[in-house]
Amino acid sequence: MAANFWESTQRRNWQFSKDELAQMREKLEESEQSLVQMFPLPQRRHLSIYFNQQLNRLGKRLGVRQQALATAQIYLKRFYCKVEIRRTNPYLVIATALYLACKMEECPQHIRLVVSEARSLWPDSLTLDISRLGECEFFMISEMHSQLIVHQPYRTLTSLQSDFFLSQDESNLAVSIVNDHYMTDLPLLYPPHIIALTAILLALVLRPNSPGGTATTMAAATAAALAQAQAQVTSRTNNGSNNGQNVPGASDKDRQQEARVTKVQRYAAFLTESAIDIEEMVDCTQELISFYECHEQYNDKITREQINRFVKARGLDKP
Amino acid sequence: MDPITHLHNNVRAYYGTRDPGPAAQLIFRDKNLGHSHQYTILDSDHQLTVVHPDPNDRGSRGGYQSKVKVMDKYRVVGFISSGTYGRVYKAHGRQGQPGDFAIKKFKPDKEGEQIQYTGISQSAIREMALCSELRHDNVIRLIEIILEDKCIFMVFEYAEHDLLQIIHHHTQQPRHSIPPSTVKSIMFQLLNGCQYLHSNWVLHRDLKPANIMVTSSGHVKIGDLGLARLFYKPLHSLFSGDKVVVTIWYRAPELLLGSRHYTPAIDLWAVGCIFAELLSLRPIFKGEEAKMDKKTVPFQRNQMQKIVEIMGMPTKERWPLLTSMPEYSNLSTLTPMMLPGHPHHPHHHHHHKSSAAASTSHLEKWYYGTIGGHASTSSPASNGSLTSLGAEGYRLLAGLLEYDPEKRLTAEKALHHPFFGGSGSGMGAGASTEQISRNCFEGLKTAYPTRRVSQDDNDIRTSSLPGTKRSGLPDDSLVGRPVKRLKDA
Repeated sequence: MAANFWESTQRRNWQFSKDELAQMREKLEESEQSLVQMFPLPQRRHLSIYFNQQLNRLGKRLGVRQQALATAQIYLKRFYCKVEIRRTNPYLVIATALYLACKMEECPQHIRLVVSEARSLWPDSLTLDISRLGECEFFMISEMHSQLIVHQPYRTLTSLQSDFFLSQDESNLAVSIVNDHYMTDLPLLYPPHIIALTAILLALVLRPNSPGGTATTMAAATAAALAQAQAQVTSRTNNGSNNGQNVPGASDKDRQQEARVTKVQRYAAFLTESAIDIEEMVDCTQELISFYECHEQYNDKITREQINRFVKARGLDKP
Repeated sequence: MDPITHLHNNVRAYYGTRDPGPAAQLIFRDKNLGHSHQYTILDSDHQLTVVHPDPNDRGSRGGYQSKVKVMDKYRVVGFISSGTYGRVYKAHGRQGQPGDFAIKKFKPDKEGEQIQYTGISQSAIREMALCSELRHDNVIRLIEIILEDKCIFMVFEYAEHDLLQIIHHHTQQPRHSIPPSTVKSIMFQLLNGCQYLHSNWVLHRDLKPANIMVTSSGHVKIGDLGLARLFYKPLHSLFSGDKVVVTIWYRAPELLLGSRHYTPAIDLWAVGCIFAELLSLRPIFKGEEAKMDKKTVPFQRNQMQKIVEIMGMPTKERWPLLTSMPEYSNLSTLTPMMLPGHPHHPHHHHHHKSSAAASTSHLEKWYYGTIGGHASTSSPASNGSLTSLGAEGYRLLAGLLEYDPEKRLTAEKALHHPFFGGSGSGMGAGASTEQISRNCFEGLKTAYPTRRVSQDDNDIRTSSLPGTKRSGLPDDSLVGRPVKRLKDA
């Protein structure tokens, strides 16, 4: 169903447990042992960061909206659950995912334009023409079994931001957290509303006015917030009351702070009343924190070189 | 096959294959028919270019190859229809799959002598994605999609009939109306499917008798989602994507008047038109389509005229947003009254007629004229006659053919209409004395003729006939410029 997530193909076919995901990837690598040994790659999240950057660069050139970029990210993830990365030219796959996502999100880009922008963006790594992109589109759709409708956390985020009286800053922060989650495995693990609620929680307990936003500063701030967030969540599960005893910064006299405390309380009340899986949210939070930490070690140059090495060596840049 | 083997094969299929693949042309003989008809799944002029990968470069691509071959799995027994999208064939399963299938083959864009990957059209993408997602008794069921040899094959459950064919059957001598129980069941199932689509944020945008399938067991299935799309918070207005939607006779007045933002109500107008057609066996508003100018969408004067002749002039009292419609000014050029013989006479009629008279609806007259009864003498008639549909039938029709899209019945409301027994729970619920069957053929003594399946070789090869009016969007297809040939590695 297109509106009902619970009956969607996303829920039925594209949401995995961590074990399932690990097994799928392990089997994939086993099937290509020699390739895997010959061409070492950085850890998956670093690959994701790199892919995300490349996708955003192409998206920027084409003026693509975030929603389509997000869908393209999901296509990339689904595709690479089924196909070993080293067997593909990731630049071709990225361009294809974006081309397809734009059609699905009703903001189509002409194939010729996608091809020419991708060509000029990656002149050394990709020889691209229309038929090659079109062929990869067949491959990608086939791997995804034509299940192209993707539920994104943005919808939940938009519909809840007024319920939780999020300020513009808080909303923006929540959106950027959602944007970042595409560089993790979270979209393959949890339903979009869990992601959105986690992003809102983080946006509330973080300080949107502090010089945040960048991954570096956020990592530290989020780590500090994690304990609070979890205490918050735990206190709700334990007593179900809404006394806000663990609300961070309750002693702060600052009015803004108080307003935020109220919001966190409101949020906590919502959580207790709803049937939201708090375990999932805790795990989601931890994944995000861990991602921001891992982001610190990201080395763009090494990642790019390792990808380009197998692309070149295997002649995947050639038509 | 376990998923890993499946995966394995696929990776091999995409990259490792040296096999030049099946014959460039997929021709097969249907031995079971006992005569030597040939069915060509690929058109004769659609030769495949087989790419031979360089044996020294394992990394080079061997070309995408589908792991499922449509011909291995299905045996085509005939050709059903064609449209701008491609062709539909009837098929049986070769691997013991029960039932019949309809295989819709999307025609690839021709590029001279060979076919090339050119990017899949947006309407095909929509149809593939939506059909994969939707599951409902009253929406045609997708079995699978096979992407093979640069073509897309969508395999659907087979439906023996469609409303166009059923309506046509009743126009044959002696002309006889569709039994009221059948009309009710069809309408209920159609609205039920519509309600499902709308609650899932899907607009069909091309409801018409030809797109409403009926299985041999009397189940109504909404088909052809080629124009359907999601309408949840679109990034762009729906208008900007597709300038022209819905086949002209079923097009809602807000579309004819150029509304930029349309809603599920456009589907309900079409359902109203279909209801009327089930009663009278001919399209209620059979206008002539004004051809599209180079870029601008013309005002569909003749179509609007046909509507006005029966429904009367729309007024801003009944439809408050009327005056803000882009084509509002064109309304005054229409002839408000039913004038047999001069249906489209585009000059002004200020004289004599008051605007009140001009806006009078003749729908009630049309309805009772059609079902063969009178509003005043609505005595309960025999069940076999359309008169048994009574005043509630008129109210439902009027609710669906309401000018103001905001006042028009929604699918949900229409399902709860007293016409269906009032309980709204409808099908099989005990509340109504007269139950609506899930089988629209229930109680019928005669069977409808089966779908014509052509086995004429020439039919299959001829280029596609004009079909459904499709979107005005260029659909990413290549226009004009030939593509470079796929080079051998």
